[in-house]
Amino acid sequence: MWNQVKQALQLSTTGFVTRLASLLPGLIALIVALVISLLLAWIVAIVVRRVLKSMRFDERLADWGLSSTAEWSPRGSPALLVSEIVAIAIIAAGLLIGIAAFNSDMTTSMVRSIFAYVPNILGAILVLLVGMVLARFVGRSVLIGAVNLNLGYARLLSVGTKWLVMVLAIAMALVHLRIAVGIVELAFGILFGGIVLSLALAVGLGSKDLVTKSLERDTNRPPAEPLKEPFRHL
Amino acid sequence: MSEVRTVEADSAPPQARPSIEQIESADLVVGILADLSPDEVTEVCDALRTLPGKPRIVVLQNSAANASPEVSEAAEQDSALSLLPWPVDVQNATAAPVESALAAYQSIFSVGDRLGVRGCCIIASKLEHAPSKWVCRLTEPLLVPDFDFVAPCYARRKFEGLLNNGIISPLTRSLYGKRIQNPMGPDLGISQRLLGRILAGDRNGKAGGGGMHLLASLVPKAVCENLLVCQAYLGARIYPPMDWTDVSSLLAEILGPVFLAMEKNAACWQRTRTSSPVVALNEPLPVMQTTAIVDIARMVNSFQLGNRDLQEIWGLVLPPATLLDIRKLSRLAPEQFQFPDELWVRIIYDFALAYHLRTINRDHLLRSLTPLYLGWVAAYARELETAEAAEIEQRLERLSLAYETGKPYLVSRWRWPDRFNP
Repeated sequence: MWNQVKQALQLSTTGFVTRLASLLPGLIALIVALVISLLLAWIVAIVVRRVLKSMRFDERLADWGLSSTAEWSPRGSPALLVSEIVAIAIIAAGLLIGIAAFNSDMTTSMVRSIFAYVPNILGAILVLLVGMVLARFVGRSVLIGAVNLNLGYARLLSVGTKWLVMVLAIAMALVHLRIAVGIVELAFGILFGGIVLSLALAVGLGSKDLVTKSLERDTNRPPAEPLKEPFRHL
Repeated sequence: MSEVRTVEADSAPPQARPSIEQIESADLVVGILADLSPDEVTEVCDALRTLPGKPRIVVLQNSAANASPEVSEAAEQDSALSLLPWPVDVQNATAAPVESALAAYQSIFSVGDRLGVRGCCIIASKLEHAPSKWVCRLTEPLLVPDFDFVAPCYARRKFEGLLNNGIISPLTRSLYGKRIQNPMGPDLGISQRLLGRILAGDRNGKAGGGGMHLLASLVPKAVCENLLVCQAYLGARIYPPMDWTDVSSLLAEILGPVFLAMEKNAACWQRTRTSSPVVALNEPLPVMQTTAIVDIARMVNSFQLGNRDLQEIWGLVLPPATLLDIRKLSRLAPEQFQFPDELWVRIIYDFALAYHLRTINRDHLLRSLTPLYLGWVAAYARELETAEAAEIEQRLERLSLAYETGKPYLVSRWRWPDRFNP
């Protein structure tokens, strides 16, 4: 009896040690991959940052009308943001390579499916980033334009426009990530359709007279009527 | 050189190319961009024939329809004066009138350069006096006393040329140290020296793209390169009516190139400490001032609306003390409304700095200045409602001095934008 217990213990210990020994190379490979990827990420980030700085990337981005990216970039520099994104991507790749080194069927298939999903994640991040920049830009354009037109509800209009663009970007990102595609499409259709319908109803019912007057004023306006304003700016 | 000439010939309107290619050289090119009647064109040509030294003149007229057959015939028989049609692109003129007019400036300057002229003159606006009476005032200084830039000096009416009076002229005076009433024309005369430098800068991409950049860089270029500048009294200008809702586009279109020229010439204007008057030719012509009561409530309302809704944007551009002052002003009723010169000057300097630093998108930045500008116009109009000519001059002189007094603030912020932030 005691011998059988001893034998079972020896067998389980041997099995555990054997399995641990078989995992050890994978574990070491994971650590090595992580260290190398960290080192590589650090070097590549420095190179990317220097190249972007030499290309005057921050100024060029501002020239292209994307100056708002600087506001939410680390230390106000989009070049730093790009270099950090590249570094994070390299570390993530190193982690996945390390996990794959375990050489088990489960980790291999997991890594394969994660790698297959990476383009979707990158696409979604890109869509979201562009959406955020665009939302801020459009929001500001609407705000300034509405204030200059003396509209009392300029802020409301600006926030509404900004969130419409953001919602559109989030919906597109979720579709890219293949998360509840049907629900997202349906919800987005209902939301946008609802907004358009409510605007149409508001104009059609609530502001009918206003729209009529406005159209009449536009059509009856005499061409090039001299302004009574005494101010001449230019 | 031949390559350059080909490029310049391409900038001429297609209808005008054969005629312009037949002319080898000239002393003076006069571009008529204003909508003058055939009689006025005749008078301009006659006046130009009286210039001393009998220079060979090429007159480029923006619309062939306005040239009377008699004028064209007389010009054909006159070897000293050629009158050529120079049509501005009508399609572009409808879409962007300022830009198309400025493209015409550029093409006229290019022709002047190709013909190796001693001077180039543009007649862009209608004045109360016939153009024949003042066209020689712009052209003569280029030929006889040898000036490089002749700026127009119009008889001022208090509510006209507000953007120039409130920003461009005092800013130019403070930056470059020359008291020029209208640094950006639009009527002007430039010498071959200045023309060559401006076009060389343009070809090298230093002056930027459109014609407005060209106009905004004339005075900086002339002053920074020690060229001779003068201004000629021309009389009262007839300003075209403008839609007040389009002020923001106007600000973006005009101030962008002014701030860009400021950025390009930073080393030059930082050395300038005081201002001096430039040579003024001829005598100033008196003009009647109207004393009508003006309604400033709408402009004050725009200012208050801007204060309420644009804090998020102004907060990125203006220091907290300035924002606080603006908030205080927004509480004033239209009948008490005022805008201190020191505050206005600091705002303009801060916007120029933000344009340089690209704090936010440049178009957004310039358009967000509109409520502040309308606030300044409202305060200015309230103050000068019943003023006469002398009071207007005194008021604008005070504003110019405020710009000069505030210049150390600009220089400090320009040099140390992070460290110097009051």
